[in-house]
Formats: sequence, C-alpha cells, structure tokens
Amino acid sequence: MVSPGDPGQLLKLCAGLLPVWGRHLATSRAQSEVAVSQMLQAFSDIGPHINMAERQSEQINDALGRHHGGVTGLVGACEQSLAPVLQDAGLSASSKAAIEQVLAMVREAVGLLEQIARPFQHETQMVAAQVDRMYMGFQYQDRISQMMALLEGDIVKLQSALCDDAGAVPDLTEWLAQLETQYAMAEQHKDHAGTDEGGSEADSDNETTFF
Amino acid sequence: MAKTILVIDDSDSLRQVFKMALTGAGYNVIEAGDGKAALALLDGRQINMAICDVNMPVMNGIEFVKAAKQLASYKFLPILMLTTESQEEKKEQGKAAGAKAWMVKPFSPTQLVSAVSKLCV
Repeated sequence: MVSPGDPGQLLKLCAGLLPVWGRHLATSRAQSEVAVSQMLQAFSDIGPHINMAERQSEQINDALGRHHGGVTGLVGACEQSLAPVLQDAGLSASSKAAIEQVLAMVREAVGLLEQIARPFQHETQMVAAQVDRMYMGFQYQDRISQMMALLEGDIVKLQSALCDDAGAVPDLTEWLAQLETQYAMAEQHKDHAGTDEGGSEADSDNETTFF
Repeated sequence: MAKTILVIDDSDSLRQVFKMALTGAGYNVIEAGDGKAALALLDGRQINMAICDVNMPVMNGIEFVKAAKQLASYKFLPILMLTTESQEEKKEQGKAAGAKAWMVKPFSPTQLVSAVSKLCV
C-alpha cells in the first residue's frame, strides 16, 4: 500500500496504471465497433428483404381492396353477374345449386385471403418500425466511441504529464477547461458539471433544424 | 433516375446506417470518411445533396461546407449536418458556413429520409 505522504510512489502507481486503463478502453471501443459493424452488416443483408415484404404486403392489400377489379370486389361482381341467371325461371334446381355453391366457394376463398393478408401487412409494418428503432440504437455506439476516445486521449495526456514532467503537477482548472472544449454532446457537459445522474438516453432534440 | 447523396462521416457503422436508410428509400449513396476525401469526390459528377458529420479527422464538417461552397459546380449543393453536436453555437457555425439543415444523432431513418426528401434537388 502506498502511503498518502509518498507522492513519488503515487506517481509511479499512476504511471503504471494509466496505460493499462487506456488499453482496456481502446480494446472495449474497438470491440464495440466490431460488434455494431457485424450487426449492421447482418441488418443490411436482411433489410432489403424486409422492405420487399412490406411492399408486397401493401400490394396484396391494395389488390384485395381495390374497388373495381380487386379480389374483394370479385364476390360482389360474381353475385351481380349471376343474379339475373339465378332469377331465371327456366334455370334447373341443380344448376341453381351449383351456381350458389360456386359463389359460396369464391366468398370463402376471398374471406380467407383477407384474413391472411391484413395481419401480414400489420406484421411487416411492425417489423419495419422495429428495424428503425434498431438503427437508432446502433448509433449509440458512435456516441460511446467518441466518449471513450476522449477518455483515452486524456489518460495518455495525464500519463505524459506524470512521466515527462513529474515535478510540475498540472493545473486542475486548466486541465478541466481544456477537456471541456473537446465535448460534442450535451450529456458530456452535464457529466462534466456533475448535473446529470448518469443519464442513459442520448440528449438529442430529435428535431431537424432547417436554416 | 435515382438521386445521388454524398455521405461524409468518419464512423463506418454510421455510414452503413445512412446507406441502408437512403438506398432503401431509392437514393444512390457515395461515401467519404472525412471532409478532404469528400472534396475529392466533388469532381464534376452529379451529386444532389450531401450529409455531413461535424467532428471528423483531417477536415471537419464545417470546413468541408465552406470549401464546397467555393466550388462553382457545387455552390448550391444542399448540405445537411448530421452530428452528435447539439450546441447552438455549433449550429450557428454550420448555418453561417452554408449548411441547409442540422440534425442531431441518433436519428431515425424515417426522420432522415423525410429531411432528405425536403432538401434533395
């Protein structure tokens, strides 16, 4: 244990420890970049398929719901076309039954198609919305990387100050002021001032400012 | 014909996100990792818009906007600054340099595509 009254030993401890911390940070940053890059690659592979499924489900629903010529309208069109035939007094009972049976089959088939198509559209829209959220989540890696890079840089700077000029202790106020000039994110300023209790959400206004 | 967007960001993963969002919306995307590399791409080719990060090595986003605005062929190129910087002072610098809009990361692809459709000429 280093005694508090032995600054030389404390300097030696910091000089040995800081590069280790720096390397841990560098490795963590590099690995988080690789992880996100791999996940994004996977998403870039499935993204076009999700987009296509979304478009196709829209097309299916459009085709079903179109007023004239749509599949849903097919039942009505068949019923309308066959109504005069069904009312024909000369139509035999077996022909009438056959026509009604065919109409019932068409009605059932269209009903089933609608039951499948509507939830499919909802599902694909939901998946697309979740993919949007994931893309937003991936962007946190960029923020984390920037924050860690800044810490890495400051650790190296402190290490240099300790090793190269052991006699002169850097001025805290100057050091902090210099560090603060390098912040890009609002939460970095809040963390610096100690006014934010470890906010996990990015401090983004989520608005586009048009000039 | 699909419009072409120049995306400038030093983060590989962010460029991938841009690319996925924009190609999914029907745009062509060309990429650069910093302002200097982006300027080299302003060689007379047809570019309809640029999306640019602010903090980058070699040449930052504000310097890039200023330099691009000096080029006759790209003087009117709309540039969207897309950055983690949310400070008003930086926004003002972007506006003064000639940027058309400012968006703070993380962005949703829908928000990005909406802004691009407004700005892209």
